[in-house]
Amino acid sequence: MSWAAHDLEPYAIQKHTKLKLAFVPLLIGSYSPDMMTKWFVYGIHLGPWDLKASDPAQFHRGWPGFGFTHSFIYGVAVGLLIWKVFGSKLWGVSFIVGQFAHAITDTGDTVGTMLLFPWTFHFHLGAWAYAGQTGRMTDAAAYFSGLGSMWDLVFVVYGLWSWRVLTSSYFDNYIYRADAFWPWLNRWVPRGALVTVYRAAFFYGTSRWIAWTVWAHVIHHYPYDLSWGGPHWVPAAHP
Amino acid sequence: MRLRVSFDVPTRRDLRVFGGYCVAAAVYIAIGATWIDFLFSFWVGLAYVVITAWAVPTLVRRLA
Repeated sequence: MSWAAHDLEPYAIQKHTKLKLAFVPLLIGSYSPDMMTKWFVYGIHLGPWDLKASDPAQFHRGWPGFGFTHSFIYGVAVGLLIWKVFGSKLWGVSFIVGQFAHAITDTGDTVGTMLLFPWTFHFHLGAWAYAGQTGRMTDAAAYFSGLGSMWDLVFVVYGLWSWRVLTSSYFDNYIYRADAFWPWLNRWVPRGALVTVYRAAFFYGTSRWIAWTVWAHVIHHYPYDLSWGGPHWVPAAHP
Repeated sequence: MRLRVSFDVPTRRDLRVFGGYCVAAAVYIAIGATWIDFLFSFWVGLAYVVITAWAVPTLVRRLA
């Protein structure tokens, strides 16, 4: 799994597509595969109950489980549904692009994703350890000690390098014009706030990347292990 | 043939806006690194950045 790439990738995609995509559904698509599942992977306390998947990796990425949310067919199905319900091809296509980016990015870890579901083969590069089954904190420590965090860093640097995509003039000329959602929201929310909302995911992804890195390596001193499939101090899950 | 290298240079205003976001990010990171729950929610991050990078500066400009 990735901790910041899903916040940052939509800006890189946006830079190369400009008017052809709508940013909001692109971002929703990028978040969508984990929306329903992450809480159950890590578990939550609900009064006297502890709710957690007995096999988090299987639940998150496998079949039987919710692994189909990381497949192309899921992105296409939801995208077509959005197109039909909202009558916007742009929103449907943008959702699909964002969801595809998420599904492909998550092939980088040791569990990978069933991209071609219903074929249940897990495409995986195994570049960083999937450690969701160890709980949120250990997973974070492991992720920010391995190549996964370096992959996130690529998008942080690429976003800063492509800084124009974050400017208010870019927002006015491309983002606002591409999608009727922004003029609609602009009826109640001032333009300055809309620009901030547009930048929010980049701010969130980048700041969180730095904060987790500080937490893992300055406060807790977890060792870096940038070897392939690492860090090897955590038990990695496999398909 | 002469190669010309050009850099997309931000204006002073761009840098001022970027500086504001950097200050907001520094505070967010400091809070998040010490109280980790703060980092979990996108909606908290969205509310935080709208307040610190838009609402507060807008209010200060109006009062000044």
